[in-house]
Amino acid sequence: MNSDSSLPSLSTSSSPAPDEQMPSDEGRDVPQVRLKGEGGRLLLLLPPELDTPSAPNTWTEVCRQLQQRLMAGERFWQPHTPVHLMTRDRLLDGRQLQTIADTLTDAQLILKRVYTNRRQTAVAATMAGFSVEQQPIAQLSVTQSNPPPEGKALVEPLYIQSTVRSGVEIRHPGTVVVLGDVNPGGSIVAEGDVLVWGTLRGLAQAGSAGNGLCLIMALRLEPTQIRIADFVARAPEAPAQYQPEVAYVSEGGIRIVRAADFSRDRPI
Amino acid sequence: MSRIIVITSGKGGVGKTTCTANLGMALAQRGHKVAVVDADFGLRNLDLLLGLENRIVYTAVEVLAGECRLEQALVRDKRQPNLVLLPAAQNRTKDSVSPDQMKKLVNALTKVFSYILIDSPAGIEMGFQNAIAPAKEALVVTTPEISAVRDADRIVGLLEANGIRNAHLIINRIKPAMVAQDKMMSVKDVQEILAIPLIGVIPDDEKVIVSTNRGEPLVLAAEASQRGLAGQALQNIVRRLEGETVPFLDLTPPADDFLARLRRLFRPTE
Ligand SMILES: Nc1ncnc2c1ncn2[C@@H]1O[C@H](COP(=O)(O)OP(=O)(O)OP(=O)(O)O)[C@@H](O)[C@H]1O
Ligand SMILES: [Mg+2]
Repeated sequence: MNSDSSLPSLSTSSSPAPDEQMPSDEGRDVPQVRLKGEGGRLLLLLPPELDTPSAPNTWTEVCRQLQQRLMAGERFWQPHTPVHLMTRDRLLDGRQLQTIADTLTDAQLILKRVYTNRRQTAVAATMAGFSVEQQPIAQLSVTQSNPPPEGKALVEPLYIQSTVRSGVEIRHPGTVVVLGDVNPGGSIVAEGDVLVWGTLRGLAQAGSAGNGLCLIMALRLEPTQIRIADFVARAPEAPAQYQPEVAYVSEGGIRIVRAADFSRDRPI
Repeated sequence: MSRIIVITSGKGGVGKTTCTANLGMALAQRGHKVAVVDADFGLRNLDLLLGLENRIVYTAVEVLAGECRLEQALVRDKRQPNLVLLPAAQNRTKDSVSPDQMKKLVNALTKVFSYILIDSPAGIEMGFQNAIAPAKEALVVTTPEISAVRDADRIVGLLEANGIRNAHLIINRIKPAMVAQDKMMSVKDVQEILAIPLIGVIPDDEKVIVSTNRGEPLVLAAEASQRGLAGQALQNIVRRLEGETVPFLDLTPPADDFLARLRRLFRPTE
């Protein structure tokens, strides 16, 4: 898979807590552990440390989130991809850095370099034998992953070559192609089209940033729900025989037609 | 090489412990040295199903705390000397054990036992993580209900993400008559969603409940009639686990017409 530059933000909630979802990318700070592809490398972003003891971003929580992200995203990078750890102003000791490195190793990833703007963390990382860069890393645009401005071209499509199972949500600022099924309880949220080369039984959202021209296509369309831009449609009645179908927006609603009948020059 | 198999489901009460007890017993009957590990800390009941409750002295927690040796905690089954149980502590929570500790325990068991079956608790939290940590293979148990299948699907995804790709499906408590009336998901319906290889279909059978209450796994019964179709299905799973090709039981409900019944009579069943 060559989607290094366009890794999806992927969340799977292994606790039923609703706060599992990342609130927003726009905030100044990343509130959860995140993995992000950028220019062929993988960035691991740690959330900032909060003062309150009840804060969710304790070290144990960070470990748990990291594990979870790695589990969920395993298919989205190749083994031995170098990882750049962005600790920002978080204080980490050598043991904690080693834990992160070990966790990454278990997921067949390599901790390549530690970026920090805390001297102590930099020292600890150096002592533990990691290569370190102590600087606010502006050029890596960690903190400003803003939604693309109006009219910006979508990133390249994301190919997922596996079944999207219950509990997995895939978000991608472009088109998503699934070579497999999307099961009930699984969901795809794409700013572009959603193509499922298999059975779509879960939830699919195309044009999630508002583009009503986006499409949802599946070899078998029996979704829990589909959304295109701001339109929502529930599962169509199960037809006697399944055929490849296309869902699109027309005359203020979502329509579904057989792929064979879907014409490119449909009225918009 | 020992085989380390976790029996897991997501949803509770679908038959994990029943399967663990019976498959463990059936494997032991075939001459393998088998350890069944109860990973359901705090809610253990594998010992009950095996009828070994009153013989537990130590549990996995004492072993890990260094309060006893592993051998001391293993409960040997009098009826079947090839089978031992490593009990879970009843009074501790699931957090009293870590995945690394589970790995260590199970790894020690591999020195002696050729099959290690781990009975996972329901859910996807710590207890589940503990149960799957040492496993190389998984048996995913589900009943033909939408909620159970949904949870099983989640489990399959989590197993994959944890590097356990060798997972097989057991569909438990199927009621052929209800399937025939379209009131229950069929084997095919379940398989279509989960898309992992099927290794067994166990019919709903009150003999299972009776054997549960007696602490005597179904497969122990001397007579085939006492084991029933469910017992036979469990034995077939073990044969398939060992690489045999065994046709699936004919679970179609008895048809009304005489000819069909006759035909079924003469069809070679497993
Ligand atoms: N094939 C079957 N036919 C009839 N009853 C069954 C069958 N399989 C299991 N049961 C019954 O269902 C109940 C739950 O089974 P069991 O304890 O094995 O489930 P479990 O998945 O281990 O549950 P838990 O999630 O609580 O650990 C028991 O009373 C058992 O006798
Ligand atoms: Mg149980």
